[in-house]
Amino acid sequence: MEDELTMCEVREGAVGKLELLFDRHYPGILRYFQYLTSNRTLSEDLAQEVFFRVLKYRHTYQPEGNFRAWLYQIARRVYADQLSKRKPEVAMPEEAREISGATLPPDREFQKKQETLMLRRALAAMPGDKREVLIMSRFLELKYEEIATVLECEVGTVKVRVYRAMRDLSDRFFALSGERAS
Amino acid sequence: MTCERIREQIPEALAGRLNAADRDALVEHLEGCAGCRTEVAELNAVWRGLETVKSGMDAAPDSGAKVRFEEMLAAYQAGMAAAQPAARPAVNTPRTAWFPMQPVWRFAMAAGLLLAGVLCGRYLPQSGAGGNPEMAQLRAQVENLHQMVAISMLQQQSPSARMRGVTYTEKISQPDPQVLDALLQAVNHDANINVRLSAVDALQKFATGPEVALAMVNSIAEQESPLVQIALIDMLVQLDARGAAPGLARISKDMNMDEMVRQRAAWALRKLEVQG
Repeated sequence: MEDELTMCEVREGAVGKLELLFDRHYPGILRYFQYLTSNRTLSEDLAQEVFFRVLKYRHTYQPEGNFRAWLYQIARRVYADQLSKRKPEVAMPEEAREISGATLPPDREFQKKQETLMLRRALAAMPGDKREVLIMSRFLELKYEEIATVLECEVGTVKVRVYRAMRDLSDRFFALSGERAS
Repeated sequence: MTCERIREQIPEALAGRLNAADRDALVEHLEGCAGCRTEVAELNAVWRGLETVKSGMDAAPDSGAKVRFEEMLAAYQAGMAAAQPAARPAVNTPRTAWFPMQPVWRFAMAAGLLLAGVLCGRYLPQSGAGGNPEMAQLRAQVENLHQMVAISMLQQQSPSARMRGVTYTEKISQPDPQVLDALLQAVNHDANINVRLSAVDALQKFATGPEVALAMVNSIAEQESPLVQIALIDMLVQLDARGAAPGLARISKDMNMDEMVRQRAAWALRKLEVQG
């Protein structure tokens, strides 16, 4: 409720209070864009744009609404605007490119590192809508109710979409690594 | 419960968010279903792997981000204060929000104040009424100074300095073609969307002739951001720019435009017809 009360004050004109919300949520918003774009500089610009829009559209905030869900709705629109301006760029980590097709020494640490890179490759190759729901659920740890608000759908739909995204990621990952869990 | 329904619960179970009853049902199902057990094993491997991905990408925000935010907030607060002088003092408005950060602008302001002081010292003792031509000349000089500072700030490299330049145009009481040009340049070519949006708002004061409305309509077609396009359309309605109707009609039918922009243009046309 603390966020919601602070946002109500911002909405009523105490715009300086937005700093509190910036401190609490900027890291999460930055991570959201980093997972989506794999581009730190672009993510920083987009995260700043989110907080500018919070100011600009502060009158549209509904006091009974969940602030975090509203904030991520704005972030989603900022990302959509970015995509409409240019082709989506999901940069593949350099190391991930290098490592594909390489022969590996039987070293556990190296193997773990390789698995992580392949997971990142698999994640980057996923369709945007599946990647997004996974980012919200797994990396940002948003509740299903919050994700439902952000995506404007039912909680049950979120549950199904998270599962399908995990299934998709799993297929891509095991296809890259050439083995399946037993 | 069917395998499909059980599998949909796996991510929640892996995240530890499944309630006790559903968890028990899941465990019971897994005991008798090899296919779902394999599914859990695979998704669990990926789920755990994502933890490593997460920790690898969780870099802390740098301090520059906070500075950028504070500059944006200060510019916004300055804009609010300029737009609503009667509503001041706004809560938490920094006393220095109006004050330029760059030494060069501080110097420009100081020079302006010095000039105003010298002129006041020279003319005020001899002048009584406000309608005196010397006083008018003094006002014109201060006005010129405002225009010069605003135009120069609009040409700065830093987006926050340009934003302050846009806000500074509020201080100019008389429409000036040079300031208008600088604002139109900002609307059309500024790389920063925040500056472009603020410049659209600032245009209201200077949009006195039909040529400005035309420039704004032309600008809509040039813009990449639907947000700026919609802000321009709204401004045309606010200005009651009926001369912009043909241009808005074109935009409302242009299938290359964003759907929201087309709808807004159609709405603007209806508004202008009603106002007419």
